[in-house]
Amino acid sequence: MNDEEINKALQAAAETPQHLDPLARERISEAIKSSLRPVRPLPPQWLMAAGLFLLCAAVSVAGAARAGFFGVAKMDGLERSLVFPVLILLMGLAAVGFVHQMVPASRIRVSPGALAALTMVALLAVFADLFRDYHTDDFISAGVACLAAGLLHAIPAGLLGWLLLRRGFAAKPVAAGLVAGTLAGLAGVGMLELHCPNFQAAHILVWHTAVLPVSAGLGALLGRVYAFRARAGGK
Amino acid sequence: MREAISLKIHFGRLQRMPSGENFEMLMVRYQQGDFTAATILIDCISPRLHRFFVAQSMSRADADDLLQETWLRIHKVRHTYRPGQPAIPWFYAIARHIRVDHYRKTVRIAARERELEQLSKGASTTPHQAGAAGGLEALLAPLSLSQREVITMLKVEGMSLEEVARATSTTVGSVKQKVHRAYQKLRETMGGRPGK
Repeated sequence: MNDEEINKALQAAAETPQHLDPLARERISEAIKSSLRPVRPLPPQWLMAAGLFLLCAAVSVAGAARAGFFGVAKMDGLERSLVFPVLILLMGLAAVGFVHQMVPASRIRVSPGALAALTMVALLAVFADLFRDYHTDDFISAGVACLAAGLLHAIPAGLLGWLLLRRGFAAKPVAAGLVAGTLAGLAGVGMLELHCPNFQAAHILVWHTAVLPVSAGLGALLGRVYAFRARAGGK
Repeated sequence: MREAISLKIHFGRLQRMPSGENFEMLMVRYQQGDFTAATILIDCISPRLHRFFVAQSMSRADADDLLQETWLRIHKVRHTYRPGQPAIPWFYAIARHIRVDHYRKTVRIAARERELEQLSKGASTTPHQAGAAGGLEALLAPLSLSQREVITMLKVEGMSLEEVARATSTTVGSVKQKVHRAYQKLRETMGGRPGK
C-alpha cells in the first residue's frame, strides 16, 4: 500500500460526521458565560524575554557585587570578550525558549533538551579553549563551594523568572521546567564567572559548568511535580 | 443584537476563507468578553476537538468529558492567545495538554485495576480497547499516541506542518520525523491486511 492510498483511507475515515451532543455545547456555553469578562492578553514575547534576560543578568551581577568581582578583574581582554558575550547569547536564547514554553502554540526552533545540551557544550568549548591551567588544588572543596554558590543564585533567578511569567501557561510543564532551569543555571554560571578567581581548567570545566545540568534537572523535576499535582488537583 | 447578527454573517462569509483569519478575529473578541464570539468558537471548534479526542482511541463519553474540560481550560487561559498568531494550533495545544493529562491518569488507574484484577483473576480490558471501534480509530490503532495525534492534526484536520509543530510544542523537523515513522508503520500494517 502506498502513501496516496493511506491518505485516501485517512480522508475517508475523517469524513465520517461527528455527532456532538448539542446539550454538551449548551453546557460549555453556559459554563463560560457565567465568568466571561475582558482579559488582558500577554505582553509581546520579546518584552517578556527581555524582562527575563535582564532579571537573570541582574541576579548574576548582584551576586557578584556582594561577593566581589574577583573573577572578571583577573581575566584578560580575550577571556572577557569571549566568556561574557557567549553567556549573554546563551542567556538570551534560554530566555526566548522559556517564553516560548509558557505561551501555548509558540514557534519552537530548538527543542528544550537540545537547548540545554547546546548551552553546556558551548560553555565547555569556551572554557576548554580559554583556561589552560591544568593544576588541581582543593578540587573538591573549592568546587563544591562554587557549585553551591552557583545554585544559590540560580534558585532566585528561577523563582523570579517564574514570577515574571506566572500568567503564562505551560502546555509541557517538564519541558518548561527544563528551560527555566537552564536559564537559571546560566544566571548562576554568570555570577561565578564574575566572582570566582580560580582559573584552573578542571575547576571551571567541572564545577562551574555543573551548575547548568543540576539546575536544569531541578527545573525539570519541579515541572514534573507541578504537572503531577495539577493532575491530582484537577480531579 | 445587531452586532451578533453581523458577526455571524461575517463569520459565514469568512468560513470560505483560510480558517486562521476568522478564528483569530473571534479569539480577540472572546478575549474582549464577547459572548457571541465565544459561542461561535465553541460551535466551530468543538466538533474538531471532539474528533481529535476520539481519534486517540477514546470512548465517546471520555471525549465528551475532555471536550468540556478543554473548554474550561481554554476559558481560563484565553489571555495567553496572542492576537495575530494562528488560533487553531493554540486550541490544539490546550486540547493536547488535557489529553496527555487524561492519558496519564488513565494509565495510572488501569495499572491499579490490573493489580486488582490479577488478585481476583478476572479478565482485563484496558480503557483504550473499549474506545477503539470506529473507522479512524481503527485505522490509527497501530500507531503510538504521539504519532496518532500528529497524523490526526495533519491529515484529518488539514493543519500545516508548522501549525502541528506549534500545537505540539515541537520543531517542524520532529513532526516530519513522526509522520515518516507513522506512515512506515501504516504501510506495514495496512499492506498486511487481506484484500489490500
